[in-house]
Amino acid sequence: MLRTEINELLTQTGPGTRMGDLFRQYWMPALLAEELPENDCAPVRVKILSERLLAFRDSDGRYGLIDEFCAHRGVSLWFGRNEESGIRCAYHGWKYDVTGQCVEVPSEPETGNFCANVKLRAYPLVKVGDILWTYLGDPAQQPPLPEFEFVRVPDEQTYTSKRWQECNWLQALEGGIDSSHVTFLHSGQLNSDPLFKGSKGNDYNKGDLKPFFEVADTDGGLLIAARRNAEEGEYYWRVTPWVMPSFTMVPPRGDHPVHGHIWVPIDDENCWVYTFDYHPVRPLTDDELSHMHAGYGVHSENVPGTYRPMANKDNDYLMDREAQRRGEQFSGVKGIAIQDASLQESMGPIVDRTKERLVATDTGIIKARQKLRKAALALAEQGVTPPGVDPEHHRVRSAAIVLPHEQPFQEGVAEAVVARPGVAQTTV
Amino acid sequence: MQMRPVLLNSCARAASAAEARFRIDVPIAPSRATRVVALDEESEAAVRRVAEQDWHHARFYSVGGEGLELTRVDGATVPLVDELDGVDATVLVASSDHGAEAAATIGAACTVRGIMTAGLVLTTGASVAAALTALRPHARVLLVPAEEEDLAELLRAIRA
Ligand code: FES
Ligand SMILES: [Fe+2]
Repeated sequence: MLRTEINELLTQTGPGTRMGDLFRQYWMPALLAEELPENDCAPVRVKILSERLLAFRDSDGRYGLIDEFCAHRGVSLWFGRNEESGIRCAYHGWKYDVTGQCVEVPSEPETGNFCANVKLRAYPLVKVGDILWTYLGDPAQQPPLPEFEFVRVPDEQTYTSKRWQECNWLQALEGGIDSSHVTFLHSGQLNSDPLFKGSKGNDYNKGDLKPFFEVADTDGGLLIAARRNAEEGEYYWRVTPWVMPSFTMVPPRGDHPVHGHIWVPIDDENCWVYTFDYHPVRPLTDDELSHMHAGYGVHSENVPGTYRPMANKDNDYLMDREAQRRGEQFSGVKGIAIQDASLQESMGPIVDRTKERLVATDTGIIKARQKLRKAALALAEQGVTPPGVDPEHHRVRSAAIVLPHEQPFQEGVAEAVVARPGVAQTTV
Repeated sequence: MQMRPVLLNSCARAASAAEARFRIDVPIAPSRATRVVALDEESEAAVRRVAEQDWHHARFYSVGGEGLELTRVDGATVPLVDELDGVDATVLVASSDHGAEAAATIGAACTVRGIMTAGLVLTTGASVAAALTALRPHARVLLVPAEEEDLAELLRAIRA
């Protein structure tokens, strides 16, 4: 359980909140690069950390992320015309460039300098991998760009999707840290999902339904390891890294691409789940890509033209009681992503953590909350840069490995959990 | 026939913020009995400090030798087996290899009784390899390295 004030501290990310200030130390995904496919394309409304912004790509290919609302009389610039190196408000024609600078006010004399004094709040928007990243913090403190392996491998080796999740970011993130739910909620998928099935590790998974857990502190976050019996005298370890504030990776299975998530608060009751799949040393196959597009693995099938899953709150996630009975899906909801989303959304927009009854196997979650809280307070009180800002902390990987009983997992996976360009993932 | 969601009982409505205020509000029972055992001298100091906080039914001990007897914070010595009666969780705290033997004894006693066991390894620079090896087969969850604060936090989270 958490006290009400700690729950509020961790779940509120708007401007001026302590967790909001913490998030504003990091580069975060603002949107997928595919959302702004070409110069002068339609602008996109972006809400992030409870700030309403507008993303656009100008005639010269520059990306901008500016205040959504016109400085003149507050009209949404989403209705504007993206043309000739700027976005022009549809109401009275004021025009802004990607830095938020007003460059034209048609009603004012052309020679005057009225518009020089009009500037909208703007944030950097930079393409790294398939993602357009932004940084909402103090420009003087802007850290180096993200180094996560999935955005640094060649294009043909990586794929990212996203989906809207209708709940607070923290309960969604906690699902990524909570390794103990996989044995239940996702049990049906190990055999059937084309992006999961057919690995030796799956047999160990199914052969030992009561894993042991070890949680280890790292510079950037945590390593959460689940241990199961393998062959005589050996353990099968699945190791999930968490990089603060909201990056996790699922341990690999066989030679399947490796996947993970980044959760980004939209506001306190909604978040974006960015989901990636990549292979460190080979291109994704056409088969793999088509399965990812179709919502297999940890991806979701979205309503065409949107990032809202087909199976959502409004249709009870297309719950299928017959499939639940047959055991194809433990919860009767199809697909790993929606299995998670449905349960996490069912907790309510912001779960009341004063009412929880945690157990020892929730230690990963307990520790993650503590690290977030401490980092937010250290930042507020002493200006300490939080873990996960330094790109060195991004160079992590998940791992699946078989080790002899006597070998501590930290030692056994020391190399495997570091992203090494050109070296394949450690997997079973 | 496949039923489709309608109004009042659909997820869209049931999981809304407005509905959250109708949740049943009954005090949650604390954990029945939690045992916290310091396996060596350094851990004992940490466990003693945490023991001073306000707990429901948690009890705190230190242990020496083989681990068949526990020492309460008030100094009384009690047999391990008596103290495990009706317990729902045991937390073992280690800072060095000195308590490895006791860890194995207590861990095994908890495993036989189906008592959830957690291990916290406070790092102090001393070698903890043997303590880890002794804890690993029995501790359903191990936190390495842990801080004193983690102990308090784990106990609070499980309502000890
Ligand atoms: S409101 Fe935008 S130009 Fe007038
Ligand atoms: Fe999940």
